Amino acid sequence: MSLDPVEQVARATPVTVAKKIRGLSDRAIAWIFVGPTILLLLAINIFPLIWTINLSFTNYKANRPNRPVEYVGLRNYERILNDSDIWLNMQATAHFLVWTIVFQVLIGFTLAWLINKKFKGNDLWTTIIVLPMMLSPAVVGNFWTFFYQPQIGLFNYVVGFFTGADPSSFEMLGSVDLAPWAIVIVDTWMWTPFVMLICLAGLRSIPNYIYEAAAIDRASKWRQFWTITLPMVLPFLMLAVLFRGIENFKMFDLVVQLTGGGPGSTTELASINLKREAFEKWRTGYSSAFAIILFVTVFGLASIYVKALNKVKER
Amino acid sequence: MADVTLNTVSKSYGPGSEREFAVDSVSLEIANGSFNVLLGPTGAGKTTMLRLVAGLEKPDNGSIHIGDRDVTGDTPAQRNVAMVFQQYSLYPHLTVRENLAFPLKSPLLKTSPAEIKKRIAEVAEVLRISDKLDNKSIALSGGEMQRVSIGRALVRQPEVFLMDEPLSSLDAKLRSELRLELKRLQADLGATVLYVTHDQIEAMTMATQVGVLHDGKLVQHGSPREIYENPKSIYVASRLGLPRINTLPADFFAGAPTAAATIGMRPENIVIDSGQPGAKSGVVDRVEHLGDQTRLHITVQNHSLVTLIHPTLNIGRGDSVSLLPQSPLYFAADGSRVL
Repeated sequence: MSLDPVEQVARATPVTVAKKIRGLSDRAIAWIFVGPTILLLLAINIFPLIWTINLSFTNYKANRPNRPVEYVGLRNYERILNDSDIWLNMQATAHFLVWTIVFQVLIGFTLAWLINKKFKGNDLWTTIIVLPMMLSPAVVGNFWTFFYQPQIGLFNYVVGFFTGADPSSFEMLGSVDLAPWAIVIVDTWMWTPFVMLICLAGLRSIPNYIYEAAAIDRASKWRQFWTITLPMVLPFLMLAVLFRGIENFKMFDLVVQLTGGGPGSTTELASINLKREAFEKWRTGYSSAFAIILFVTVFGLASIYVKALNKVKER
Repeated sequence: MADVTLNTVSKSYGPGSEREFAVDSVSLEIANGSFNVLLGPTGAGKTTMLRLVAGLEKPDNGSIHIGDRDVTGDTPAQRNVAMVFQQYSLYPHLTVRENLAFPLKSPLLKTSPAEIKKRIAEVAEVLRISDKLDNKSIALSGGEMQRVSIGRALVRQPEVFLMDEPLSSLDAKLRSELRLELKRLQADLGATVLYVTHDQIEAMTMATQVGVLHDGKLVQHGSPREIYENPKSIYVASRLGLPRINTLPADFFAGAPTAAATIGMRPENIVIDSGQPGAKSGVVDRVEHLGDQTRLHITVQNHSLVTLIHPTLNIGRGDSVSLLPQSPLYFAADGSRVL
């Protein structure tokens, strides 16, 4: 087997010489660089995860640290999986997740496609469109509660103006049917720009000469879109979906600010219920088990998705 | 296949007073089945002319006909032309096979799958990329990409082939092979080709007609031999010929016409040591042995000249030689030819 020149020099240099020159071996230097990060990760990520797994098999209550802790085996898991309220949470989460992604991808891609058409002032438009994303979710949640006011809200007024319905005849946040859509609308308003930016990066990565070649090859604009634009943007789009999916699976701040999980528990997403179990009811063991179940779910889904993404990239 | 006619076509870029003509009222007739080479330095408007014929650019003035049809306002898709781009322009997300199939799958052509398969196989065979058909197009070497790009033009039966320096990125061996292959294909298909190149060997060997461009203007159009032997200006004369034509003040040698300001001598048109009257003597600076010929770089009264001698002649550096022009070309002060 022939070696490349660098390897040959490396092999011919005695280890002791290398050590003398730098005082440390390559491996030692590598560890010095990586060590602090690994320690930090262990302390704030890995340890809590393992500790949570441990707690999920107990009946520990964090507000009563002196109470003796009993190991209860899989009972927490059993109770969660048999709890119909948890399944309602999961359904609310799924509804939120699916529809926000559908809307954000459709609107985000369309906006990116329009912005990518070279016209005057498209930089300004990009900035304006991206603004919602830069706001704090707490602020966004707070002022959308005003928009959704039946009497004075802008949203109700606009809907009333276009449909002719009485603005005070419906309550977006107060109605069992409308509240799940109300949170989808706000999240879409806030995060579509993010999907747009990623799609825009994808669209801009397609060089113009590809379209010229396609035009010469007698492909219509329609065919160019389906055979060139879409396949070449797809990896970017899938990445945007991954980010938004993971983010919205653990959505908390925006929805708490808007509905607090109500009315009833129609907008009570998994993470809202989790927070309630852990820090209002103080069922630490139970909520640890719930957290682990959520973690495994999102981790599993994301892994499958990343595999699909890599396949698309390889194509 | 069809003939192509450009009628006082102009194309300029840039705003207002800074407008620059990339193509300046060019009229050109490209006969059906002819191989037309456009020569000229960078920025002379060669590529713009191809893009105008392709429909990627719209002319400011003038009209373009392909066959009997006025295509001036047509889109590229409506024109039925094939183009090989200098920078390959392959579809990066598709395999070689899909790249080659792409133009055939145009709904305008209605090619059957069996026919597509057959044509791809034929073209791949000619371009020697049969074993690469299932590779991703970006996983190829530069030469392979360029062959796929040529193949994408060849699978179709367009009215005109447009080629923008298609061989420039290939290595010398492949280039000379593909040069012959392209010329053979063109002759077999009877294809009309408009071909842009810097390479004078390509121009001389492949072309039936050569067009020389200067600052967007077509300065001469004719057979390669005509252009070489009978250039209309000093500019045209210096575009063809390697080493370049030597130029000296016209009165350097006796016998120049009165209107001439410059005498141009091709390297092969300088006679060494003729012993005739009127010859000037110079000193050899450098000798280049190319095997089949030898080039002499000579200084004559502060002027540098290059000439060719038979490789068996034994002349070395520092030797003194006498020089005499043989059927030279004379040019006026404005560069035009003086006959």
